[in-house]
Amino acid sequence: MRLASLLCIALVLSAASVRTAAEQLTVYTYDSFVAWGPAQAIKETFEETHPGVELVWIAPGDSSEMLSRLIGELQLGLPTADVFLGVADVELHRALAHEVFLPLHAERISNLQYVPQRLRLEGDTYVVPYDHGYVTFVYDAELLPEELVPRTLEDLLRPELKDKIILQDPRTSSPGLSFLLWTIAHFGDAWDQFWRELLPNVLTVTKGWTESFEMFEAGEAPLVISYSTDEAYSHIVHGDLRYRVLTPGGEGYRQVEYMGVVRTTENTELAHSLLDIVLSHEIQELIPTSQWMFPANEEAQLPEEFAEHAVIPAESLSLDLELVAENLEKWINEWQAVLVGR
Amino acid sequence: MSPRRSTSWALALLPLAFLAVGFFAPLWEVLRQGFQDQGRWTGDFLRTVLADPYVRHLLSFTLQQALLSTALSLLLGFPLGWLLTRYSFPGRDALRALTLVPFVLPPITVALGFVLFFGHAGYMNRALMSALGLAEPPLRLLYSLWAIVLAHAFYNAPVVARFVNVSWETQDPTLTEAARVLGAGKLRAFLTVTAPALFPAVLSALALVFVLCTLSFAIPLALGGAQYATVEVGVYLLARVYVDLQRTAALAAILLGVSLLLTYLYLRGGGLFHTLSVGERRQPTVPLVARRRPWRLLWLGYLLPAALVFVGPIGAVIADSFLRAAPGGSSPTLHWYALALSPDTSPFLGASPLGSVLTSLTVGAAATGGALILGIAVSAALRTIRSRALETLLMAPLGVSSVVLGLALLLAFRRPPLSLLPPGPWPLVLAHMLIVYPFVVRSIRPLWEALDPSLVEAARTLGAARYTAFRSVELPLLRSGLLVAGALAFALSLGEMTAAAMLSRPGLNTIPLAIYQFLSARRFGAASAMATVLMIATAVAILIWERLGRAAVWEQR
Repeated sequence: MRLASLLCIALVLSAASVRTAAEQLTVYTYDSFVAWGPAQAIKETFEETHPGVELVWIAPGDSSEMLSRLIGELQLGLPTADVFLGVADVELHRALAHEVFLPLHAERISNLQYVPQRLRLEGDTYVVPYDHGYVTFVYDAELLPEELVPRTLEDLLRPELKDKIILQDPRTSSPGLSFLLWTIAHFGDAWDQFWRELLPNVLTVTKGWTESFEMFEAGEAPLVISYSTDEAYSHIVHGDLRYRVLTPGGEGYRQVEYMGVVRTTENTELAHSLLDIVLSHEIQELIPTSQWMFPANEEAQLPEEFAEHAVIPAESLSLDLELVAENLEKWINEWQAVLVGR
Repeated sequence: MSPRRSTSWALALLPLAFLAVGFFAPLWEVLRQGFQDQGRWTGDFLRTVLADPYVRHLLSFTLQQALLSTALSLLLGFPLGWLLTRYSFPGRDALRALTLVPFVLPPITVALGFVLFFGHAGYMNRALMSALGLAEPPLRLLYSLWAIVLAHAFYNAPVVARFVNVSWETQDPTLTEAARVLGAGKLRAFLTVTAPALFPAVLSALALVFVLCTLSFAIPLALGGAQYATVEVGVYLLARVYVDLQRTAALAAILLGVSLLLTYLYLRGGGLFHTLSVGERRQPTVPLVARRRPWRLLWLGYLLPAALVFVGPIGAVIADSFLRAAPGGSSPTLHWYALALSPDTSPFLGASPLGSVLTSLTVGAAATGGALILGIAVSAALRTIRSRALETLLMAPLGVSSVVLGLALLLAFRRPPLSLLPPGPWPLVLAHMLIVYPFVVRSIRPLWEALDPSLVEAARTLGAARYTAFRSVELPLLRSGLLVAGALAFALSLGEMTAAAMLSRPGLNTIPLAIYQFLSARRFGAASAMATVLMIATAVAILIWERLGRAAVWEQR
């Protein structure tokens, strides 16, 4: 029967369409690391070092979303990544609690020697940092009149700022989570009250940073949660200071980003080699002006203009990681309730 | 039991066995996850989930948006049904045919169209800003409940219009004429004769629209943001984004109950709402444009805004795919098509874009083939055994929300027997098969029931085996129904995103998911190009459908 033969062809084709290539190293990361960051350069260096192996970036979401996806796939026993790049320090406990990573063989990552001890975690053997920075607000100087620029977190509540702020969802985005923790560090137990009053000024809460920043650049709202290096971005890429970094009360939330080898990988050798490449001087020197973060490798040279315009907040906040690990689920639940007005 | 009867039971067992493995066992697994703690049955997870203020918000928001969407669909759809019934004007048949479009138009393309057309930087706002000289976009629809409601109305107003039109057209005009002869004014005749007769159809349409809006997925997912999520979206986010299996399963159990209940009510109610009087004569029409009736032009006051709402978003998608300026500034351009299909976008899709197109087409073909076979088997079983219970079992997938089905298959493909299948997009094929085969049954069953049994008997008398008689007599006579069903099944599978979102994994992606991923990363040009590709593929399937079967499925409604 013709129908049956068509059906057979369709089934064979569909089986063939998901067959994998000879040898691949699959790396999960967040979308902006591929769209902006040094992903392409890493791929080229890696594939030169290991001929015949293809490096596949998979990045359809922001970092917390990708980490959840990895955890879910491991739980369900589905095929998943070999390496995960992009766990923020505040989410490490979640990754470690789900035993996502293999213990690392530090001796196979020679470039680790250039990473200062203060970026590493005490007693940790699972992850290595690759960059760091500060989560802050960024505003569009052309759209936001000087007198409306908030000087403190409380200024963000002014009624003139209605629908002018774009935030990210702390359940899916690491800068989004950093901002939630920032408000907790700043306001203590009164943080939920601040959020209740803040929400009317929030245009939308996006799933990831990429969408937020796209909306911000498209002029949909003049205030967005982003990174303290964005003034350098504005200066170097656009040649002006239209995008200004805003550190309300001098504050910003510290963020260190880590990578690790996924426990189910069959390519530990290649995975370690990738981590080493990411920490190499060549790749680390690309981080400031592509990823717009500070490199983890101390010997990596910062471009002069970057060093000049990247802001380091006077007050760098960060909650104790143990405290975050203990309370995060509770805070997220409370935040959800605030979000929907309960 | 006679041998004849036992053969027919054996026939019924085939689709039943298939559904048992591919549908009921996976669903059971969801219930087990949601109600079992270390082997003990418990309502704890359900209670925790129901006590969660966020989940309660999901439930109440789902209800709220479904009610508002249904009301707006009525408001937009009723006048359209009226217009189509009462007036003649050029393009009337085309307009009537167009009311079928939303049935197969993938929801994600509608969501994209809404962002492009009504968004803050969308076509509408830009036109209004330049026309009125405004500095800020005047239309602030997006990122609110109203975006979802309006998109749902876009989708469902034509359904209302269709129901009103069909019911009104078949109403015997003699009744209204009698009322007028007896002295009733136009309004009184409408209120006392026409409206009561239309009421069942309207109610039936509203019930259907309410079910569709409650179980809507792609539109609230793409337009809602974090603040506005429905239960359907909530299950997806819990399962695939926040990863909390126990809570997912408990919430899915609630959703399963809701969807079964709604479908049951709709189907039961549907039987009560048959049109009362089918007249010998059709309703007379009057010309819309008549020199002596200039007030009829007031219809423009409805038609122009309606055209904006219905044509604007889809037009915006197609226009955007060619006209959005490429990075060098050139426009019109094919840049976005090249970008949408280039391997450079693979990381953001989790699979290569061409692979996604190929997956959609092959899954569509395989699911269509499977659904036709399953549909024939189910129809055959229901034809020989008249049993309400059997019908309920065999048509049960119709009442299950796609996101729950996706979750069930996600869990089921972890262990035998389903995990024994060779690698391939099997979960997706199975999900789509289960979603579309009820439509196959609905389109071939009436044809089959109407077949004269003496044809088969003649073949049997002449020595044909039962299967030979089926193949050489019944199958050719059912051909048109099967072709219609096949094209519809293929189109529905192409546009399906709910189960696909639950079942996607690295290397397995479909066109609607690619559109969603481009849209949510705000790569609008690429999203538009991909959506245009999808609409063209769907349109081709539908054209074949129109050619081969003359929309027989809908005329039966």
